[in-house]
Formats: sequence, C-alpha cells, structure tokens
Amino acid sequence: MTSYRIGADIGGTFTDLVLMDASGTTFEIGKILTTPEEPEKAVEQGVQQLLASAGVAACDVSHVVHGTTLLTNALIERKGARTALVTTKGYRDAIEIGREHRYDMYDLFMERPAPLAPRRHRFELDERVLADGSVEKPLDSEDVTRLIDILHEEKIEALAVCLLHSYRNPVHEKRVGELVRRHAPELACSLSSEVVPEIREYERSSTTLVNVYVQALAERYLASLEARLRKLGLTGSLFVMQSNGGVCDVSTATRFPVRLVESGPAAGALAAARYGTKMNAPSLLSFDMGGTTAKASIIDDGEPLIALEFEIDRRYRFKKGSGLPVKVPVVEMIEIGAGGGSIARIDGLSRLTVGPDSAGADPGPACYGRGGVAPTVTDADLVLGYLDPSFFLGGKLPLDREAAERSIRQAIAEPLGMEVAEAAWGIHRVVNETMASAARIHAVERGKDAARLPLFAFGGAGPVHAYRVARILRAPSVVFPLAAGVTSAVGFLVAPLSFDFVRTLREELEAMDWERVNEAIADMERQGREVLGRTIAEEDIRFRRFAEMRYRLQGHDIRVPMPEGVLAPGSEVAMRGAFDDLYTSLYGRVQPELAIDVVNWRVIAEGPRPEIELPAASGASRADDSGAKGQRAAYMPEAGAFVDTVVYDRYALVDGQRFEGPAIVEERESTVVIGSGARARIDGSQLIVDLPKD
Amino acid sequence: MDRLTLEVLWNRLVSVVNEQAAALMRTSFTSIVREAGDLSAGIFDRRGRMIAQAVTGTPGHINSMATGMRHFLEAFPPESLNPGDVLITNDPWKTASQLNDITVATPVFRKGSLVALFANTCHALDIGGRGLSADSREIYEEGLFIPIMKLYDRGDPVAPLFEILKANVRAPEEVLGDLHSQVVGNEVGGRQLIASLEEFELDDIESLSDAIIDRSESSMRERIRAVRNGAYRHELEIDGFDEPLTIRVAVVIDGDAVTVDYAGSSGPVDRGINVALNYTAAYTTYGIKCVIGPDIPNNEGSFRPVRVQAPEDTILNAQPPAAVGGRHLVGHFLPSAIFGALAQALPDRVMAPGADGLWDTQIFGRRPESGAPFTYVWFSAGGTGALPTSDGLSATAFPSGIAGVPAEVIETLAPIVLEKRELRPDSGGAGTFRGGLGQAMKIRLRSNEPFAVSGLYERIACAAQGLLGGRPGATGAIEASAGSLRSKIRTTLPAGAVVTLELPGGGGYGPPWKRDPERVLSDVQNGYVSIESAERDYGVAIDPERLEIHEEKTRARRAEMENTQ
Repeated sequence: MTSYRIGADIGGTFTDLVLMDASGTTFEIGKILTTPEEPEKAVEQGVQQLLASAGVAACDVSHVVHGTTLLTNALIERKGARTALVTTKGYRDAIEIGREHRYDMYDLFMERPAPLAPRRHRFELDERVLADGSVEKPLDSEDVTRLIDILHEEKIEALAVCLLHSYRNPVHEKRVGELVRRHAPELACSLSSEVVPEIREYERSSTTLVNVYVQALAERYLASLEARLRKLGLTGSLFVMQSNGGVCDVSTATRFPVRLVESGPAAGALAAARYGTKMNAPSLLSFDMGGTTAKASIIDDGEPLIALEFEIDRRYRFKKGSGLPVKVPVVEMIEIGAGGGSIARIDGLSRLTVGPDSAGADPGPACYGRGGVAPTVTDADLVLGYLDPSFFLGGKLPLDREAAERSIRQAIAEPLGMEVAEAAWGIHRVVNETMASAARIHAVERGKDAARLPLFAFGGAGPVHAYRVARILRAPSVVFPLAAGVTSAVGFLVAPLSFDFVRTLREELEAMDWERVNEAIADMERQGREVLGRTIAEEDIRFRRFAEMRYRLQGHDIRVPMPEGVLAPGSEVAMRGAFDDLYTSLYGRVQPELAIDVVNWRVIAEGPRPEIELPAASGASRADDSGAKGQRAAYMPEAGAFVDTVVYDRYALVDGQRFEGPAIVEERESTVVIGSGARARIDGSQLIVDLPKD
Repeated sequence: MDRLTLEVLWNRLVSVVNEQAAALMRTSFTSIVREAGDLSAGIFDRRGRMIAQAVTGTPGHINSMATGMRHFLEAFPPESLNPGDVLITNDPWKTASQLNDITVATPVFRKGSLVALFANTCHALDIGGRGLSADSREIYEEGLFIPIMKLYDRGDPVAPLFEILKANVRAPEEVLGDLHSQVVGNEVGGRQLIASLEEFELDDIESLSDAIIDRSESSMRERIRAVRNGAYRHELEIDGFDEPLTIRVAVVIDGDAVTVDYAGSSGPVDRGINVALNYTAAYTTYGIKCVIGPDIPNNEGSFRPVRVQAPEDTILNAQPPAAVGGRHLVGHFLPSAIFGALAQALPDRVMAPGADGLWDTQIFGRRPESGAPFTYVWFSAGGTGALPTSDGLSATAFPSGIAGVPAEVIETLAPIVLEKRELRPDSGGAGTFRGGLGQAMKIRLRSNEPFAVSGLYERIACAAQGLLGGRPGATGAIEASAGSLRSKIRTTLPAGAVVTLELPGGGGYGPPWKRDPERVLSDVQNGYVSIESAERDYGVAIDPERLEIHEEKTRARRAEMENTQ
C-alpha cells in the first residue's frame, strides 16, 4: 500500500489539486472551478475526481494540505463575528487612533479602514501593568464578570483582549481568559499575549481582533471540510497552510486563524524554494505573475524570507499603511498591481502607465473578445507576437489580435503619436519595469542584491515577462519549471509542519541573563513539542532559533540565526559577530563602539520536510529532433523589430537539449519568451535560460 | 531621451529615494525618526534641483530641503567636492527653520564627476539650548547652530564637529546615532543610483532631471490654468505666544501661475515661533499642491509655478537672530489659510481647518532606578478638518506627515506613564461632515522628583473654524494636577504631578442640520457625539433610553436651525 498526499490551492478562479505518491512524484493534477461561498465544496469535488482519475483509494491518502483565501475575503467584506475589544483603562481608542499618520501626504481625501470592533463595542478594565511587567493596579475579577454581562446584552460573539504591556506580563489577560471561559464559554476569546506577545499596543490589538473576528468562521469551515473528506473515506490528517509557509493541524489553525490569512500566496514561494534546492539553486527570486497581480519573493538558501507583519483590507490595494496591521509571520513577498489583465492608459501628465487596476477575467483583455475595450498587458503581449492567438490555454481561449491592436491604437498609440507595435512594446516594458523596480526594492530592503539571484518564473503570465524582468534586474538566469500552472499547488506538499514562537526579553547582549534566556527558549520548545507532537513523533521535531537584535536605542531589529545548544557567558561574542556581518551587508558599515540589545527570541518548531521529485522531461510529443513546432514574428528589442522566432513545444524538449534565443517555448498554461543572445537548456524537466552578459 | 526610457528612469529614481528613506528609518536611533517618521529624503541634480523625494516625512522638511540644496552648493561648489564627502547643516534660514532639523547631503560621483546629491533632513532628539521650546528670545538660546560644513571629508569623519556635537546635546548617543543613519541612508541611495546609471549607460542625470522638471512644471501649470483667475483672500487667527496672531493670505491665480502673498499678517515676535521664509514657502507650496495637483510629482518643477512672498515685517519671513524653535506653531497653519482662500474657487477640493499644529511634548527628568537624567520627545495629533464628502480623521496629523509613538514604546524608553490616550467626544466641529476628534492624554512620571515639561501646543484659545457653514472644532486644553503648566514654555512641575493634554478637534464642513441623521445617531451610539450635542448642534433628537431618532422633534428642530441661518 502506498500513502498519497494531496495539495489543494484554492484560488480566486480555480482550485488546483495535486496528488503525489510517497516518493514525492506528482501523480495526478486536477483543476476545478472554485466555489467562493463554500470553498470546501470544490475541494471535496476536486479530491473525489482526482482519486477517481488516478485510481487511488481514499484510505490510501495519508494527508491533505490546503490553503484558503476564505478568511481574507471575510475580513475585506467584513463578514466576521460581532466582535468586542477589551483594553486597559484609557486605551479603548488606541485601535482607532492607530499611528496618527497619513499614509498619503497629498491626498486630502484619503480614507482609513474602520477597526473591526466599533467604538461602542470597545470596553476598558481598570487595571495596570507597567513597562517592566510589574502590576501597578491589580485586576478586579468582578469588573470582568460585569463586563461579561454587558457582552451578553450586546450579543457579542467574539472578544479580543489586549491589555497594556501584556507581552511582558500576561497575568491579567490570562485571568480575563479564565473568567470568560467559566462564565461565557460560548464566547470566542483571544488574548493578545497568546496571539502575538509583542510590544506596540495598536498592532497587537489589531492582530488579536483579526484573529477572533474570523475564528468562528475558520472553525466552521475547517470542521465542514474535515467532515466532507471523511465522507469520501479519507482517514488521513487534514493540514492547513499558514502564512509563514509552515503547515499546522486543524486544532492549531482554529485557535490562531490569523496565521492562515495569507496562506495562499505562500505556497508558490515554497514551491520555488524546493525546486531551487533540488536544482542546486538554493537562492533565487520567485516571480509569480498571474492575471491581476505579480508576486515576488526572495528565497534565501532554500528558504523563503519571513516577514513579521503585513496589512489586510488596504483602502488602496498597493499602498503601504492603508490597511489594518497584522503581526504574524508571513512569507515575505511584494505584491504588485501588474498582471496579464492590468490596464494600460495615459495619465494626466501624458505618461504611459500600467495597472494597478485589472480587467480581470470578465470582461478581460480586449483580445478575449468578451467586451473588454481597455488595452491590457495580455493585449500588448499578443500584438508583440509573444502569444499565439490560437494556442492560449492550449487553444481553449482563442484570442482576437485585431481587437488587441484596436484597443492599443485608440488608447495609447494615437494619443502619444506612435505606432501600435511601439506602444505595445511600451506597455510591455513599463509593466516589466514596475515589477523589476518593486522586486529590487523588496530585495534591497532585505539586504539582497537582485542582480545575483536567478529568477524562478511561474503563474500564467510569469514566463512571458520573466526574461525581460531578469534583464532589468541584471539577474544571471531564469528558471522556468514545467507545468507552471500548478506550481503553487505543489507548494502545499513541500511545506513542513511548523509553528513559530516569540518572547520579548529585552536585554543588553553583554549583560545577558543567559539562564532566563535558556528558560524562555526551553519553554518555547516545549510548546512546540506540544503543538507538533499531536501529529508527529517528538524525535522528528527540529528547532530553529533566532535572536532579533539591534543597537541599543534603535527601533528595528535584524534577525540573527542562533547557535544550537545551551547558551552561556561567552555566547555574546559569536552573536555580536553574526550581527556585525548581517548589519554590514545591509547598511555598509557598523558601529563597533555601540552596545547591542537582543529584543526578541524566536523559535521555529518544524517537522520533517516532505520530499518531492521533479518530473523528467519526456519529449513525449517530439515530432523532430529540435522540438520546434514552427516560427512566428515576435518583437525583439535587441533588433528593434519583429524577428522570425522559433517556437518550441515544451513537451517535445528533452533533458540536456540546448538552443539559443530569440525563442518562444509554449506549454498549455504558459508561454516562455527568450530574447536574442540568451542560451537556453533543459535540465531535468526545467528550462533554464542564461542571460547574455553585457 | 525617448519618453518610455524617461518613465522607466523616473520610476527608478523614486524607488532609489524610497530605499534611501527605508535604510535611514530602519537604522535610526530615535523614535522620532523611525516611529514618528520626522524626516525627508530626496535626490538632487548637480544644479541642486530636487527631482524625486521619498514617500515619507513632512512637507516642512521635504520642501525646505528642496530649496536648501542650492545653499549647500553655494558654500561647496561641485569642483570643491570629493568622493567620501558628506555635508551637514541645521541653518534655519537655509533649511528647515529649526535647529533640531539637521540636513545631511552626500555628493555622488561617477567617473570622477559629481552626478547627484542625496540629502535627508531628520529631527534631532536634542540640539542643546533650552530644549524644544518656544520661549527663547534669540536663536542663540535655541541650541547649537551648525553652518554648512563637512561632516565627513573624503571618507574621514570631521572629528572636531563630532566632539562639539557630543558636548552640546543632551542625548549624544541618540543624536550621533541618527547622524550615522542619515549618512547610511544617503549611501544606500547613492549606490543604487550608480548601479542604475551603469545599467542605462548614462554619465549623468542632467537631461533626465530636465525632462522630469519640465514635465512636472507644465502639468502643474495646466492645472492652475483650469482654476478661475482671481485674488482669493482669507484670514485666520491662532493663539500665538502672548497674544493671538493673524495669518492673512491672498492667493492670486493668474493664468498658469499662483502667487501667495502673506502681506498684512502679524509681525515677528520676540519668542521662538517666528518662521524663516523657506519654511513658509515649504508649507505654502504644499497647501497649493494638495488642492490643485495632489497627484503631480513633488519636485522643483511643481514648485516653480508657485511664488511665495511674505514681507520682512511679518512673522512669516523673520530675520536672524529671531528665535524660530517653534516655527511650526505658525507654519502648520498655512495650508488651512490657503484652503480657506481657495474654498471660494474650488469648494469641492478643500478641507476645513483642523488641529493643524502638531503637539510636541518634551519631558526632562531623572530615571527612578539610576537617577540619571533623561529627555524624551513625542508628537501627537488632534483632529483634521472635515471634507466636502467625508468626516475629518480623528487624531491624525495634518499637514505634518509624522506618526505617533505607541504608549508601550514611550513607557519602555522613558520612565513615563500614559494613563490614557483616548478620543475626545464632541471635539469634532459639527457639520454636514464632522471634523475629526482630538485626543486626550494623561501623563505622569515613575519618579519622585520634580520634572520639566516643554509643550509646543496651539489652538488652546483659537479653535479650528468650520468651512461653508460648518462649526468650529473644540479648542485644546492643558492642565497639571500640581504646579502650573503653560504652552510653549518649559515649566518645572513638582514630583507626582499629572499632566492632562486635550488636543483640539477639526472644523466641520457644511451646515450641521444637513448631516444625515443616521450618521448623527451612529456618532451618538459610538460616543463620538453626545446626545446633547446631537440635538443642539445637529438638530437630531435622540431618545436616550432606546437610542433612536425622534423623527418629529428632529424635523422641527432642523427647520428652526435652517431658518435662523
């Protein structure tokens, strides 16, 4: 008997499924329309179809891993629980006062998202813990029971508790939690000291509110999905992807649903990481370009970078600061309003701009012939000869080239007084530049040089644009995986079981109380064993430890990996060295005379990493020796003209094969465009393109 | 240069200056820079013209830095600069009109010639003198004045300057730490610029900057042409130091140019709230841009069509050695004065006056554990004014672009306890759209010693007026439980004193009796507006038990209000 794994990526339009056997070889791929109101329905149907077509029995599936945008949508549409917030006396407005900041300096009409708990549902308790953790004013239990009565009267369904300095001393929050469990067990309740024990009351309460706001929804959904899978005869475990790229079991997911919010996009980055490691390219830039957005993230030494904060419900989708902050670990990525459907236009300064708004799937680009008139990136790609009008999605969606030309002529070429092809190249170039520029900043902010990282390109539009983006970034090469359409779904199957813990224990490095640190680390590791031990054997749990360090008086930390084993006097020397190295690579200089503080200690508990095998190129549809299936005129900027370009059939290429650009490589869900002077080769099943060095 | 390459390079410059600002904030040693964001960062061509700025910071810094670069280049012409040089100044008349605001400029070279300068301005935690206050009578009392000079010379620190700084400021570790961050930020920007020039095989950015500036200028002129010609006048009153001050403005739209003239405004005073002309110009061009061209890139080109004049006998063009430490207590009100004038031409695009002046609180005391002296500064915001289509924002800074500092961070960095930080009900001016609410704060120290408070506060006497029928927002108030506290003066309070600050609210827009009664009800349910105010100011009668609108009473009350208008 073999044990199989299923990965399910619930996207906006399609739910993609992948079935793998124990060795990690992809066995079967499925695609089914997403059921947005009840996403578990499509998963159930998809799993059923997948098993049937693969001829695998349900009881042979050891586990199902999935990610969902259900919670994100509930937050954006404000369809969560009727939620209250309780704070320390004097602080019920902290969540509304926020950072007192305008994220747009010049727009007088800027808006801010409303807090998840309106002011009438925000309450205070007369208690006080000080910054050093000492209790100045004890909590009166009777105040809490009185509060619970009010919550009942107000028909509150969920309660977030965020008391001042609880990251330092959670005693009062814990007491509130106990009393709520005793007197109002039906009330969903999240304590900020459990959800995110970190300093900054606004961000902490915002995160805690998000958690409890979607908790009931997550619980219902996960229970329903579990029941549906059981009904199909699946006896294995159900896992959920977290935003940080680790998976967790259903009970953890139900307790901390805030950790699932960004789970979908994380999978793509994970897949990039594992493919890269397999191919001996452990550091790369993952580049995923779809219909409405592109996402770039850095894979460093086989791991996606992890950020500790992100925003939801942005008033302006791509504007930093316009959303509600959420402090949980998340795969770091930059999302750019640039996809195949992004609309091109001339702005008030007669500049050509592209996006961030998208024609989406409906009406879609002009060339879809579904009523779209605005020119999009896909229209430009078609006019430039990059896409084959009769082989889009393997021919399932015929494209109208004349409609594309018309839209570009009217909206761009004529107003700017240029030829249609020139305007199309302008659109292509501007969108590439936007993506490259965002990716570069993303890299630099993390101390990475995008010019040293190969690009890993997937998603529907990624392979069309990746070569030019790589040129702008001066990247050495681009990797195009086979079956770019399901790359994200594969990501779910490579994620280890994992959970993050953090403790704020601010102390100077040179005067560290190592005993206390060791205790804190041991405690986080104990919790890790508890969370992960429900599913895997204790000896399979691995711990990674980090110290978040900064010069004393600085406000931002850099995260320094820690040595294994018990820490002791003397450990500070190695830690300072590691800090100096990282700081220099980020900012070019260090300040050796200054004291360093450790602010947070972080432990990541992780299970074993599931194996995958990359499929080998089969050359299955090979008709002749070259794997070419024809030629077409495509615009090549190196020549400044349309050039007859060889079109290869991706399924006809074989391992070890080499060819040169300009070239186009087509597969069902995507098209690779390669410029002049580049050298392409097939390595296993991956297409690798080395950029010309000039 | 073809226009598409121009777009690409322009975006590239914007991303470079954002990288510059990000590095600066991430390495900063003070919450003023990294949390409050009291900084600016930008790139200049070798003629000293600003061509791109980071999307962060405050107009007072950005725009005065923009006009300040030519002073750097006058003092150090391009041929006198070398790789590794870093320049510095805090000259109020050449940069941001306050000694605390230090500007650091770094020339960038390619193939041996100067191609650009990166500069940033940050608010230093301390600069000596009396500390951040407005009670100096001359600039000499306000701290250390650093003329334009070198901070680094061919890569080597100018050691005497560092020594002088260290000896003259109250928090040398923070102040020198932030200088380090300012240098790092410019270097990160410079590295990125050079990489981009190499990629595009450009030797300099002169033709790029010409194109950016020309394009921005002509767009700005086009927008100005769309506004009806005329001289639009407005006047507003603020607290001032000892007596109220008048800001009188005439915004003259003439074809594709705007002249903003402050003739007739109050004269200079012998305390530290005078304004240098470059700071007046900074908030003036900002105010004009918010209304006329919010989406036009902010650079030399968008400034050009706007002429700013203030006679030397006004407080808005004070001459040395006037004290200017609290210049924002006047300068922050200029956008509201301009909006008031432009309301006559563009009523749909202006905002009512808000709290406007940022409230700066600096505390000086001793740490209870060690007895060591400490000083800590933070900024707080009142409500912004209402808009033609929406309510003002509560406790949100405008026109300053700073952010607040979390109470938990303040209490961790300093022995301060913030007993509350909450919105002030009824502080937003009534209107069809309501002004944003101010906030109330209660502050005490964890120590048994006297301590000093220096608060730069405004709108305690003069409220933010409403616009087009809107009512004024609440004035601010300050109080100490023991001893006496005064705005704009450093005062020592006895041990155990509790300070209460109540920040002003924003003015309303449009007549209050036209406000949607459901919005008034929601404001009452959420405690933003009291039941009494709902009836008195909005004419909406609400049943206090059931919290429902009393339709009949409301109709009658509103009819009466409309008739007495």
